[in-house]
Amino acid sequence: MIFKNYYFIPILLFLLSYAVLYLKKNNPYNSFIFLIYFTFFIQSIIVIAGLAKYHFTMVIPTYLMIFFNSWILMLIVILFELLYKAKYIVIYATPIVIAALLISYFAPSVDIKTILKVDSWLLIAHIVLILIGDSLFALAFILSLIYILQERKLKLKKNLKIINSGNKKSSGKNEGRLFNFRKNFNYFNLGNGYNLELLDNMNYQCLKLGFPALTVGIAIGIYLSSALFKSALSVRPIEIISLFTWLIYAILLHERVAKGLRGNKAAMLSIAGFVMIILTVGFSFYLFPEFHGLK
Amino acid sequence: MEIIIVGLNHKSSDIIHREEVSKKILTKELRNGFILDIKRLFNEEIGKQLIQECAVISTCNRAEFIFAVSANSSGGNKNTDYALIIKNIIIKHLFGDDSGSEELQNMFYTYKNFEAVLHFFKVASSLDSMIIGEPQILGQIKESYNEACEFKNTGLILNKLFHKSFYCAKRVRTETKIAAAPVSISYAAVELAKKIFNDISNKKVLLLGIGEMGKIAAKHFIKQGVSEIFITNRTREKAVKLAEELDGYDSKTIVDFSEYYKILTVADIVLCSTGADSYIIKYEDIQPIIKMRKQRPIFFIDISVPRNIDPEINKISNVYLFDIDDIGKIIENNLDVRQQEADFAEKLIDEEVEDFINWKNSLNAVPIIVNLRNKVNGILSAELCKYINGKDENLEAIVNSITNKILHEPITKIKRSGVDFNGLNLMEAAKILFDLDINLSSGTSQKNKTIEKEAFSAKDCETGGDDADNATDGHFYNNKIIQLNK
Repeated sequence: MIFKNYYFIPILLFLLSYAVLYLKKNNPYNSFIFLIYFTFFIQSIIVIAGLAKYHFTMVIPTYLMIFFNSWILMLIVILFELLYKAKYIVIYATPIVIAALLISYFAPSVDIKTILKVDSWLLIAHIVLILIGDSLFALAFILSLIYILQERKLKLKKNLKIINSGNKKSSGKNEGRLFNFRKNFNYFNLGNGYNLELLDNMNYQCLKLGFPALTVGIAIGIYLSSALFKSALSVRPIEIISLFTWLIYAILLHERVAKGLRGNKAAMLSIAGFVMIILTVGFSFYLFPEFHGLK
Repeated sequence: MEIIIVGLNHKSSDIIHREEVSKKILTKELRNGFILDIKRLFNEEIGKQLIQECAVISTCNRAEFIFAVSANSSGGNKNTDYALIIKNIIIKHLFGDDSGSEELQNMFYTYKNFEAVLHFFKVASSLDSMIIGEPQILGQIKESYNEACEFKNTGLILNKLFHKSFYCAKRVRTETKIAAAPVSISYAAVELAKKIFNDISNKKVLLLGIGEMGKIAAKHFIKQGVSEIFITNRTREKAVKLAEELDGYDSKTIVDFSEYYKILTVADIVLCSTGADSYIIKYEDIQPIIKMRKQRPIFFIDISVPRNIDPEINKISNVYLFDIDDIGKIIENNLDVRQQEADFAEKLIDEEVEDFINWKNSLNAVPIIVNLRNKVNGILSAELCKYINGKDENLEAIVNSITNKILHEPITKIKRSGVDFNGLNLMEAAKILFDLDINLSSGTSQKNKTIEKEAFSAKDCETGGDDADNATDGHFYNNKIIQLNK
């Protein structure tokens, strides 16, 4: 069996958790989160097995790299969920994990070749830090989207639920429940922690942790690049776009620290930053494969 | 016995007429006087004392008069619509000369028997309230019941009706989500604040003006544990008075009305309920303040009418403004949940109404059963005494035991026939066969009525009337009724 086929197990389990969340009548969230944790456990085993295959050198094919990235993202999401007791972020962020898993399975993979012997610890640090930074920004992106939607509701005063109707066992009729999307997914509109301040705090936390990780990751990347191409100052499009992404987050962090920027504008900048990250990753893997030693 | 409800509520009439009615039944003495007048006028019109029990429910949204009328008393016309007669008397008594107007006739509704019980249970369960599921109505009905007991206006039927309504309301509240969350402006304000702020306990509240609604909302925020409250009012004395009212809460500061702007830089929640006729917080004032706050969010609640906060400020980033209309709309939208639950609650109420009606119908059989038992008991006692000369200490127990054995089947059948409505013949047959001296159509004999009244005096009805030590005939009779219903 091709190793890649194991990726389908977490994909199916994640999808199953959403089905349970949607269809189960009593305490659906508890069953959902149990399945998510279980899937994460399976995912961890696959990641370890995959990395062990390449002796943890991080010189791995792109499909495994994306799978590894999805694992880091899931880890961060679960940690945030546990730390901030914000149930809904798992519900909203897991689709990105599923998307990453689908990409890792279906996207054309590029094998890697070691074009230069580099210090393996630096390479591992470069990859892991960049992936942690990217994953934190991916979470910040999701949080920003929720923030903007939630703020819109408050500003327009529409669809604001103030009575928690979903957490208690329903006593009434359940006819038509299967297709009643709004009613079925109503309960995570409420509950503890679903507020603008917490969303903004979590967003800020992502930035505070993600920015240093990204900065150090890029710095190591530049160092490795200079070692690889014998020139640190050679300017390539990938470097410009990376720097531009970094700059967005640098501005965002500066504004937050110095001027107390928060809320809507901060969320917008987070979204812009994440779009830039997606572009950077796309460029680096598929438009300039030789840069990362890809065939 | 017929149960009749005549009344008006927020759905059937406008506030002006409700006010007019409520003025006439404002105090409990007025209410008692009013209901006695109605009773007297009705008896005069009919020529008999048919109203046996009565009670008045008066709230800001409704005024209802409940009567238990001996409907088919001997000589009475079965087709007479007592509800209509009572309604006309009430309207005439309330509005005098205008009583003939069609508008007034339409304003008052009447319910009889099944519908009356159904309506009453719905009222008690808060399904008929302006805000479905609100908890106050049950307390108001309990008060009305206490009042009726105090004036000894209730009896067997209304006691049972009220107690059953309390039970029904409790069932509805516990078995459905109809009262999942209390919905009021202050509740909605706190819930909205929770959508903006993560931890309300480290937030500061500024109470700008001390209108009644603002005061209630401020108290609600204090209950939620806000860290500090600033009170400001044009008349400083009033602010001081409110601060005194909040004596259990320490973190309160009275601020001069001219200096409330300074507080806007530190307060996170602003409750505005001044009596000003124009905006006192304007768009251009808030812009610099939000910069001074380093963009920390601020939540304005404008409960005043006319509004005191410029609605434009809602456009400023990190500023959230809700006026009374916005909150009202949110409450309205959130009542959908309660409406769905109301459908389920109605099923529960139907069950309880059926239960009550069955009980009421079974009452018709009680005099027969009691008399039958007495007769058999008497015969057995007399005959047994002849043979054992009353020496046996257990004579009474033996007599009771034999009576129970002999009459078990007949009593069960007679009892059931009372519930099924088709048992009049069976009851008549029992009466003829055993030569029982009871007037069936009146439901209870005059003697028993006296006993009933004694037994269900105001005090007894609160305790449920099932005192085991009751030894009098009247209590025996009442205990029988209770046993029959078990």
